[in-house]
Amino acid sequence: MTTVPQPSEWPAQAARSRPPYLSIVTTQQPRGAPPNGDELSSWLQAVASRQDRQAFAAVFKHFAPRVKAYLMRLGTSEAQAEDLVQETMVSVWRKAVLYDPSHAGVSTWIFTIARNLRVDHLRRKGLAIGADADEGEAEALRDESPQPDELLSTREREIRVREAMRQLSDEQAQIVRLSFFEEHPHARIAQELGIPLGTVKSRVRLAVNHLRRLLGALEP
Amino acid sequence: MKIRHHPEDALLLAHAAGQLPTGPALVVASHLESCPRCRERVREYEALGGALLEAASPAALAPDALARALAAIDATAGASAPLPQAASAAPRRPALPPGTPWPAALDGCSATGWRWMGPGMYWSRITVPQDPAAKLFLLRIGAGKRLPTHTHSDLEMTQVLYGRFDDGRASFGAGDFDAAAGDIHHQPVVAEDGMCICLASVDGRLLFDGVIARTIGGLVGM
Repeated sequence: MTTVPQPSEWPAQAARSRPPYLSIVTTQQPRGAPPNGDELSSWLQAVASRQDRQAFAAVFKHFAPRVKAYLMRLGTSEAQAEDLVQETMVSVWRKAVLYDPSHAGVSTWIFTIARNLRVDHLRRKGLAIGADADEGEAEALRDESPQPDELLSTREREIRVREAMRQLSDEQAQIVRLSFFEEHPHARIAQELGIPLGTVKSRVRLAVNHLRRLLGALEP
Repeated sequence: MKIRHHPEDALLLAHAAGQLPTGPALVVASHLESCPRCRERVREYEALGGALLEAASPAALAPDALARALAAIDATAGASAPLPQAASAAPRRPALPPGTPWPAALDGCSATGWRWMGPGMYWSRITVPQDPAAKLFLLRIGAGKRLPTHTHSDLEMTQVLYGRFDDGRASFGAGDFDAAAGDIHHQPVVAEDGMCICLASVDGRLLFDGVIARTIGGLVGM
């Protein structure tokens, strides 16, 4: 399969896939650093307010390859992952008007869309592993009038979870990552950590409880 | 409503990660509806999912991926506004006491009416259309009644929608969540002052003790 150049993953990515001397002047380097949360949010708002295709393309280029990576980590076949990426990104277009920056950051919002579509897909195929039913809840929360400090708290939450992950030990961070990004997290955690399957649950519990304490300590 | 019993954080995180089986996911979701504390935690774990997505190393897409998405958008351009969910005919549901909302998590599920399963005890089988195998049901137990003693081969999750029960370990009221692991041998007793209604999901087989209890277990289809 041919690769679409992804503007958001240079130089590191480029360095891996090209001879070193070429990676310095990569032709696929449009505007420097990957987009930050505010840029992503403004692109999404441009999609919502004026069906801005340019902005949609930018959101697509940043997220679609990551959503595909996420789905494939969760055991989705390549072809199926492509289809679910399509569904996810078309949903992003359609639901852009519902995106509420006071509720979640763009990456969080797109994560929940992809997660829900994957779960729906598994259920449709009778492969039910996961489920989620908080669409309705999100709907309800959206009806509340947005408070300025909610916007702030969303931003703080996005920062807080990243900081808490950074403070976790490598092993516990790995456990948390695998809990999200693995088809059979427990089996994989046992394998990666070289521990018996029977002890994985308590290791996950320890890691998540530690994460919880860190998040609590980071709260304003 | 003072909520004292919450899902543990590992469970909330698994829910945010979309990794729970249908039954447990819906019981947790119905807890979230009544619990702002857990809702905020799930939002944090979802934000973590977003951060991990952000940090994922991108996978190569098919070359025509963006063109395909734009074509799909054009194909439905007439309906560019989000389609409101068509209100379908109200599904059949067992009656809940006034003031007790039907869990929004169960919207789209079908449920039987209240079925007798013993003196003062009724149950309703809930069917999730996309996952009919999910073992999810409502229990309505009269004041002062005790459920047959049982253990489970796996995990039982319960969300109290109305009333109060005590299982010898703790007391659970409306809004409370309980996850009983397979090794717990418990016999919930409903408070004397009123009936109790719970939403429950069982992963493994429910193992009731005694002949009558086993009969009930058979009725419930567990």
